[in-house]
Amino acid sequence: MKVLMLGWEYPPHISGGLGTACEGLTTALAKTGVEIDFVLPKVSGAEKAPHMHLLDAQWAKSGSPIPEIVREITHHVTPEQPVVSGKVFSKSHTAEKTSEVVNQKIEYIEIPSWLNPYARPELEARLRKSRKISKHEFSTTSTGVDLVHSMLPGSVSQILREFPFALDKTEHYGNDLLSEVNRYTYRAVTLAQDREFDVVHAHDWMTYPAGIAIAKMRGVPLVVHVHSLEFDRSGKTVNQRIHEIEAAGVHAATSVIAVSYYTRSIIHEQHKVPLEKISVVHNGVYSSETIKTYRNEKRPDSKVVLFLGRVTFQKGPDYFVEAAAKVVPLVPDVTFVMAGTGDMLPKLMERVSELNLNRNFVFTGFLKGPEVERMFSLADLYVMPSVSEPFGITPLEAMSQDVPVIISRQSGVAEVLQSALKVDFWDTNQLSHLILGVLKYPEIRKDVLEIAKEEISKLRWDAAAKKTYSVYLNALGLPSD
Amino acid sequence: MSSVCFYFQVHQPFRVKPYSFFKVGRDHRYFDSRKNKEILQKVASKCYLPANHLLLDMINQHQGRFKISYSITGVALEQMERYSPETLKSFVELSKTGCVEFLAETYYHSLSSLYDPQEFRQQVKLHTELMQTHFGQTPRVFRNTELVCSDEVASIVEGMGYDAILAEGADDILSWRSPHFVYKRPGGNIKLLLKSYRLSDDIAFRFSNSAWPEFPLTAPKFASWVHRISGNGDVLNLFMDYETFGEHQWESTGIFNFLKALPGEVMKHGDWDFATPSEVVKRYQPTAELAFPRVVSWADAERDLTAWNGNHMQKRALELIFELGNEVRRRNNPATLDLWRKLQTSDHFYYMCTKFFSDGDVHAYFNPYNSPYEGFINYMNVLTDFREHVLKITPEGRQYENTTQLI
Repeated sequence: MKVLMLGWEYPPHISGGLGTACEGLTTALAKTGVEIDFVLPKVSGAEKAPHMHLLDAQWAKSGSPIPEIVREITHHVTPEQPVVSGKVFSKSHTAEKTSEVVNQKIEYIEIPSWLNPYARPELEARLRKSRKISKHEFSTTSTGVDLVHSMLPGSVSQILREFPFALDKTEHYGNDLLSEVNRYTYRAVTLAQDREFDVVHAHDWMTYPAGIAIAKMRGVPLVVHVHSLEFDRSGKTVNQRIHEIEAAGVHAATSVIAVSYYTRSIIHEQHKVPLEKISVVHNGVYSSETIKTYRNEKRPDSKVVLFLGRVTFQKGPDYFVEAAAKVVPLVPDVTFVMAGTGDMLPKLMERVSELNLNRNFVFTGFLKGPEVERMFSLADLYVMPSVSEPFGITPLEAMSQDVPVIISRQSGVAEVLQSALKVDFWDTNQLSHLILGVLKYPEIRKDVLEIAKEEISKLRWDAAAKKTYSVYLNALGLPSD
Repeated sequence: MSSVCFYFQVHQPFRVKPYSFFKVGRDHRYFDSRKNKEILQKVASKCYLPANHLLLDMINQHQGRFKISYSITGVALEQMERYSPETLKSFVELSKTGCVEFLAETYYHSLSSLYDPQEFRQQVKLHTELMQTHFGQTPRVFRNTELVCSDEVASIVEGMGYDAILAEGADDILSWRSPHFVYKRPGGNIKLLLKSYRLSDDIAFRFSNSAWPEFPLTAPKFASWVHRISGNGDVLNLFMDYETFGEHQWESTGIFNFLKALPGEVMKHGDWDFATPSEVVKRYQPTAELAFPRVVSWADAERDLTAWNGNHMQKRALELIFELGNEVRRRNNPATLDLWRKLQTSDHFYYMCTKFFSDGDVHAYFNPYNSPYEGFINYMNVLTDFREHVLKITPEGRQYENTTQLI
């Protein structure tokens, strides 16, 4: 699978979470065998991205061929010696330097022996066969720009035409974001004309025009990835032009990826995109804004301890109830929430009454995606007392929403999560001791989450890549695994 | 002439027992006497007793030419009195040879020098009295908990009248200078004896590491490294935990045989002898002033305090315990004071350290807890009880009067 990805920023030069998210997602996707060409408005040379090709939109000027060197730039430059691409890798680079880089490239490409669980030979063959070569040829002049515009919806073309850019000047990006978007669109399309890829994947509105044009030019599916929405960023003072471009993107897309159920519902409401077309792929880490949005809904005065999962023997819900009975007398304003359903539910409801815990205990029944997200955001602590659990991803979900977790040592995830608090599922004394500790001493939460950040994001990016891969297959009309 | 200066740290904390929140207000016995007894007796039989015995023999054998120094914390000594009187007795025997110097430190192995200087002076004074009582010595040289030193700490210690302070020969502090000379505090008179960490750690950490290129380390080999310093230094300071002998490095590694052979090998070279810290200070003049602009310890690669105060839990726990100082002192109750101080022992905070998670290197050594979180929760529960119940005067106006019965 080959993907042309359109991005706006990449670490270390980032202004927000978008670049970091692109780094996490592409790293994990590359591990699954997906080949990625990643287009950036400008490659600085300090990017560390040996897992893919970084393409510098700056080079795609006047239809000139893109020097190979730019594609491999990150392999050559170590982070300790950041170089400005324009200076070191100018077009007048010597032949000697080139061969050096080429050698490095060969080395680099051979070394990583990524696990390749998704690559299916027959699928790859099929994809190779169906890859089309561009029918369009771009010339150096404004007719090239016209051609690009002809592939955009009228509204977008009109907006971009209001923000022209100078074709012959490549030195610095202008002050106006929309003329940058216009320039990026033209250059990215130029870059894309002679490359092979199966899907084009565009991150946030700045790259949607390029994505729309490229998809149309090459007849490949377009996946647009909504990290944030103009509606969210600006509240009531929505920039109508950006809103328009966003709308064009999500409508032109074969599939839309939203970073949360929350974002999905806003896309649905604002742009009237059917929900079936929008897949949710949670990022490896939630942005602090997302967490804040949810947290604001939480009542600060009372504490919530959450069990979320099937209410069956395997998940150990009865130990949760027994621990609750020990905690409640010491923390009268605590609420224990049992979210989920299963064959043990009636018995446990009875037990809760018997223990006189009704005032401090809530059964929510089965929760769906968006409700799960919200439930986590209300929790102060997530408890997973599983009797046995092969892996269990919910603790990762909880931690990535800034909720500390206590998990049983008998769950598979306990092996990889050093940052979690752990307990033997049968030891309700110890479980209640730990619950009390987390509720009483807020410093634990801070340390857990600080330590968890790294291990969680790695695990979650793998999950995000897996989901993204099935979105690609879906967009291509191919069956998922 | 140059000297090897051996210094051994002897310490055992009063570990806190499993103390859940359910015990708050009900149980004021905080320490795990069973476990503390068990650990002290184990370390005594593997390290303290055989090492003391060996060193006493060596001192006799070398007829006054082999010398060593110790600092023994008050909390370790109390536990020896209680659980292993023969260990204390063997230290007393060593003290009578005239070749063993006892250094000053805080009685409670606390970080009070950084958090409460007034309390710090009290704890050092208590420790000095203890050294006088048991060993008939009045310490002239000071070593701080975890070898903590900074210009400020050195200045406080100088104000207490000590001749010298032991410190880590950290790279960023020394820069191009050598740890093999005596230095002094900038603008002051107190001398600084710097641990030569490479050679010290060769014994303390690398001795039995078969992946180390110098393995196996023999006394002649080590002595040849010592002799290389001749002409380029006055003193080689070998500072380490006493548990190095028999506990960190088991007897089966040959550590005792190494120790036994070392003095003879070192003194084969006529330029080399052994000296105690006080003798070093008398014999060698400071070559220069040396500033400690940051707080330096002997721990980890960073040589800082992050293993004790690096995360939110540790910072909070330290803040809370020292916050109680005025209230505890106002009680004017020796037992309460002693209890508060035993909760200051640095080990309690070390158990809450999360630094090693990322390396997979879990510092589980003698750590009574499954995780740093549990160490923190346990400690905070105890502190909650101490603050809300022990420190609180009951309606009858009574307090807990004697913590010895609580321990």
